[in-house]
Amino acid sequence: MAILKPILYLLVYPGLLFLLVYSTFVEWVDRKLYARMQNRFGPLHTGRAGILQPVADIIKLFAKEDIVPERADKRMFSALPVFAMAIVCTAALYLPVWHYQAAPSPISFPGDLIVVVYLLSLPTLIFFLAGWHSTNFFSEIGGVRVLTMLFGYEIPLLLALLSPAVLAGSWRLVEIAVFYQNHPLLMLANLLGFLIAVICLQAKLERVPFDIPHAETEIVGGQFTEYSGRKLAFFRLLGDVEMVVGAGLIAAVFLGGFPGGLLPGLAWFVVKTLFIVFLLAALRAATSRIRIDQMIAFSWRWLAPLAVLQLFIAIIIKGSAS
Amino acid sequence: MEFKVQLGPQHPALHEPISIRMTLDGEVIRDADLRLGYNHRGVEKLAESRSFIQNLYLTERICGICSFSHQTCYTQGVEKLMELVPARRGLYIRTLVCELERVHSHLLWLGVAGQEAGFESFFMYTWRDREVVMDILDWISGNRVHYSMNTFGGVRRDIDEMQRKKILDTLDLLKQRTDYYLNLAASEPTFVGRLAGVGKLSRQQAIDLCAVGPTLRASGVPMDVRKDDPYAVYDEIPFEVSTADSCDVLGRAVVRVKELIQSYRIIEFLLKNLPEGPFKVKAPRKVKPNEVYSRYEAPRGENVHYIKSNGSDKPERLKVRAPTLANYPATIAMLKNGFIADIPLIFAAIDPCICCAERLVQLDDGRGRGRVLRFSELRAMANERAKKIDYTKREIAWPF
Amino acid sequence: MSLRIAPFLPELLRSLFKKPVTVRYPFEKTPVPAGFRGNVVFDPAKCIGCNICVGDCPAEAIEIIRVSETEKKFKMILHNDRCIHCAQCVDSCPTKTYRMDGEFEIAVLNRRQLKIEYK
Repeated sequence: MAILKPILYLLVYPGLLFLLVYSTFVEWVDRKLYARMQNRFGPLHTGRAGILQPVADIIKLFAKEDIVPERADKRMFSALPVFAMAIVCTAALYLPVWHYQAAPSPISFPGDLIVVVYLLSLPTLIFFLAGWHSTNFFSEIGGVRVLTMLFGYEIPLLLALLSPAVLAGSWRLVEIAVFYQNHPLLMLANLLGFLIAVICLQAKLERVPFDIPHAETEIVGGQFTEYSGRKLAFFRLLGDVEMVVGAGLIAAVFLGGFPGGLLPGLAWFVVKTLFIVFLLAALRAATSRIRIDQMIAFSWRWLAPLAVLQLFIAIIIKGSAS
Repeated sequence: MEFKVQLGPQHPALHEPISIRMTLDGEVIRDADLRLGYNHRGVEKLAESRSFIQNLYLTERICGICSFSHQTCYTQGVEKLMELVPARRGLYIRTLVCELERVHSHLLWLGVAGQEAGFESFFMYTWRDREVVMDILDWISGNRVHYSMNTFGGVRRDIDEMQRKKILDTLDLLKQRTDYYLNLAASEPTFVGRLAGVGKLSRQQAIDLCAVGPTLRASGVPMDVRKDDPYAVYDEIPFEVSTADSCDVLGRAVVRVKELIQSYRIIEFLLKNLPEGPFKVKAPRKVKPNEVYSRYEAPRGENVHYIKSNGSDKPERLKVRAPTLANYPATIAMLKNGFIADIPLIFAAIDPCICCAERLVQLDDGRGRGRVLRFSELRAMANERAKKIDYTKREIAWPF
Repeated sequence: MSLRIAPFLPELLRSLFKKPVTVRYPFEKTPVPAGFRGNVVFDPAKCIGCNICVGDCPAEAIEIIRVSETEKKFKMILHNDRCIHCAQCVDSCPTKTYRMDGEFEIAVLNRRQLKIEYK
């Protein structure tokens, strides 16, 4: 029994199985919302209301021919998608989904917030490497843009995630979530940080307005230009999983986590992540892609100062409370 | 680090094949060059073996978006050759379709600009409302893309009272939506940030490089064939030439939206003042030997057809200069010192129709020795050349 | 005009609760307009064999063949794979032998199936 729980934790919930199924569902929700906002249907025919469309897309990609460019570094080229996938799935294990106040998840430890943020920024590095090792002009430009963008959003994101942690007085996701479950009004103090985190998550996921690294009309597929078949499927799935993990992280830090054990926790997880996915979809629909220089200027001129402001607010509230 | 890259002939931003060769310095373009000829169809040569009536439908198929522009330009030229005065009602209906086509083309362009800038919702909405115009065109001409409305001496179909009323009704919706898009495009920060200051073309440059259409008018030159050299019934219609002074892509977008609003005014005027009478007159089949130079203000700029007749029922020469070709030199000037990210926008801002502007250059070695190459020979030559390139080397030689 | 934050959002959210405008084409079809130029339909009884349509057809899709030596009877072979649906034959014919129907789903896998013979 003592062994069974970690295995279930790793493989079923919130591990691999749940993550993959839920991420395809989230992609469907995102596509459907995006389509309806544009006054069209979105996926319709695969499954009920097209709910299986993301799965069908992945299956189709897995069945496609897998081409490795002659000039590419073949070992790196093939290893990177799997590596990135593993990292993001690892990050998902730290989300406090299966927790009781008394018995937190088996791998949770004080400071896991930082670990999740770190694990989420690794795929960005892998995207860069993927672009660089493809040795295609468009891939290289895409890879360089990935890194340039990283310097834009990473620090505001970290600052925005820190302020609720400062207020809660802990670096542990479970404890932050429990703190806000006990003091729900204090969540309002982090509203600004929440918005900054959502915008930064959009940048991390490389979606409009921040899909600069793989801007289709400019540099074809960016870092993924040379990827096809199975490897591209991995990268696509990776995007969905990253969206789930990112949304889960923001929900755990800002929205009071997922209280109440297994099933109520699951319900809270779905509700809260879908709310964030809705915000991401609305942001995607309402904006146009910006240029890389505009993105950097925006994040340092607006996001970073506002995140610092948020941190100050958190510190002041913390100071006046104690 | 400077490096040379080629964009196209297959590229997601280009809907038709063309190749842009650039020298890049990081993300900045230092030098650019365009190569055409990937989709040459030999329309001009084909026209020489077809009768004037058959060419009506051939010229229509030069372009899909501005099909009516090419057909009208050709029709007006041949009417001049025939010394034929078209029916007045026919001319009104012809002008009406011209303007409806301008409306659908400009709405299409707005959507394309949104798509190139990554603003997909804007693209979806403008194209949704473009369907309204397409339905009107479908309704009065019978088809959505190739209207086939022109014939020598007028148009082929009349407009009845019900159609007139329905078009006037739907115009209100279009006006309202266009105003909304004007406000939206000018107030969405990410979109304006992408368009403003991109692809600068000064007034003098625009004149020197012979730009036409909205590209020229956005640089503050009020030139429009409809005003300068009125054809059809444009001399009777009150309208203004839209210009902008910002000389950038945003200016070109503004010019197009302003033109949309002018077009609604023109359509309203045409429908309210539609004269009674026949909509076409009978045309002769043969044409006296002569030559004519026909100008037309297509949605993309000035369209020119040169037609030469030799007394038979076939033209001796048909020369087409689509507006896109006239805008290529200006495009190269606009691309220089821009960002890679701006290429699709700058290129889309001239509203390129690449197939219309295809050219084939025949090189003469001066000794009169020509050689005809079969397609299979050309392919063999290309394969031979491709074999010599060592793709495993990192810095491959410029293979083109 | 000044820049605003997310000016598109109200319209987007309104659309979220509206019915999409997309026509689910193969399942529901919009009616074609009355003057739609679909397939060419030929009426052999009216044909006088003047061959104006053959000369005017831009796509050279029409063939008119005399059926009998004695009678003025003609059959028409329409190469619908070449036809560009311009309806010039309808205009050119002095006896109104041609008309266009409203059919538009005429795509087939084999272009030979598109050859239509009117007797």
